[in-house]
Amino acid sequence: MAGAAWQYTEADVKTLRLAAAYFRHNLMSAMEYRFSFILQAVGMVLNDVMLLFFWWVVFTRLPSLRGWDLTGVLTLYAIVAFGFGLATVVCGNATRLAHIIVTGNLDYYLALPAEPLTHLLVSRMSLPAWGDLVFGLAIYLLITPDSLLRFPLFLFLGALGAIIFTSFAVILGSLAFFIGNAEELSRQGWGAMITFGLYPVDIFPLAVRVVLYTLIPAAFISSVPAMLLADFQWPPLAVLMLFTVGIAAFAGLVFRLGLRRYESGNLVTVRG
Amino acid sequence: MTALVTKYVTIARTNARQQLTYRGEFATRALSMVLFMGVFIALWTTAFDVSGATTLAGYTLPAMCWYLAMTETITLSGSRVFVEIGEAVRSGDVAYTLVRPVSYPAFMVAHSLGHSAPRLGLNFVVAAGVVLVFVQTVATTPAGVAGFLVLAAGALALDALMMVLIGLLAFFIEEVTPAFWIYQKLLFTVGGLFLPLEFFPDWLQGVVRLLPFQFISYAPARAFVAFDPAEFAGALAGQAAYLVVTGLVVLAVWRYGRRRLAVHGG
Repeated sequence: MAGAAWQYTEADVKTLRLAAAYFRHNLMSAMEYRFSFILQAVGMVLNDVMLLFFWWVVFTRLPSLRGWDLTGVLTLYAIVAFGFGLATVVCGNATRLAHIIVTGNLDYYLALPAEPLTHLLVSRMSLPAWGDLVFGLAIYLLITPDSLLRFPLFLFLGALGAIIFTSFAVILGSLAFFIGNAEELSRQGWGAMITFGLYPVDIFPLAVRVVLYTLIPAAFISSVPAMLLADFQWPPLAVLMLFTVGIAAFAGLVFRLGLRRYESGNLVTVRG
Repeated sequence: MTALVTKYVTIARTNARQQLTYRGEFATRALSMVLFMGVFIALWTTAFDVSGATTLAGYTLPAMCWYLAMTETITLSGSRVFVEIGEAVRSGDVAYTLVRPVSYPAFMVAHSLGHSAPRLGLNFVVAAGVVLVFVQTVATTPAGVAGFLVLAAGALALDALMMVLIGLLAFFIEEVTPAFWIYQKLLFTVGGLFLPLEFFPDWLQGVVRLLPFQFISYAPARAFVAFDPAEFAGALAGQAAYLVVTGLVVLAVWRYGRRRLAVHGG
């Protein structure tokens, strides 16, 4: 039993080392084409900044929306951007899982001795997502008066958001094991997650709010962490942490179940 | 001249047919429209509710929802030909287009319009359906619908030229997607996609009314919900002016890029 526990820890350490090695390698590759990398990241920062314009105009007309003012919405944007950025910088293949399965490219990961899901997720880095990451950090530090005090909490909540987003993307992508071409469905699903995540959950009617805490759990990557940063309480944090663990475990389960149904694409490719 | 127009109309029609071939994917994309309209309707219902006002910046809640349905109809119908052009420029494949009996930028504009036209129809029906279900009021007139369709055609043509221009930027920068993001967000903001221009502070309205972006989002949607002949004529003239200017810029960039191809090609 003790031996099994030891083996499990060792496998975990190996997986973490693999993820760290991929991160370093992907970053070095990106730096090889420095101008393109910086252009994409800066472009994304500008893209995110311009989205705030909408809320600035809205709040010149209205003092607040069901308890959300401009600072609250900016905090929400900061946490969503940081969480999404972190998810796709580290796990750049999360949103491409359905494509990888459908095209038979999963074979490559199955043939190697690393845990296939983690290996697949970390083997790509989204370069524009660095812009989201920087934007999230910068906005949070700029707009919140006591941001430095709560900065560790911001990082922690952002990391939870990143795990939720990645897990949700894995669940959507794994649908390709069961229904065939799920690329468009997967794209629509995580698009919905981001779209809903950029609005305070309280503006939606009850039925939609239920969906945003369950089927499309956008509230857990946006409104819940933003509310925790504004007014910290242990019970919502505990719920958020439980949800994160639950959805990550569920994503792993769905992927493993799907893998049993996977038929090789017999794709012959050469990879460097 | 007729032969020239027929050539590009045929290109557009071929692309439109191609769109309709993949009906499943074509229809799935309509889900985005349902999603965006659902979010906007919820947001503005709350905003009107919170403010207690019957109009905000001159718009009633139904007018606001219809306005957003029309801006989304146009935006979600736009093509992304810049990706194709960027790839062709980067890979050098663009050189092969030089021997064809068509102008490459004009070919891509026709290609883009063929892609957009069927989507405009589908998006219009879906957006109208969603708004009707939630708002149960029609905030337009027959003149408004006609005005919208005319300006929407101009908007898609202007958008297609912008897409070609962004794609041709690949002659100068390696990755053109950031340029698209900026353009897209300009449409979202100063183009009036998310908010009618009447919501902006006066000083800002003065500036954004001079820019081309409002002719792609705001002007057609405004014609739909509050048709005014003078405003319509002004929007039409503005679109025509920007079509000419953008077209000339596209031609200039293409000629410059083609010369660079001749120097470095092989």
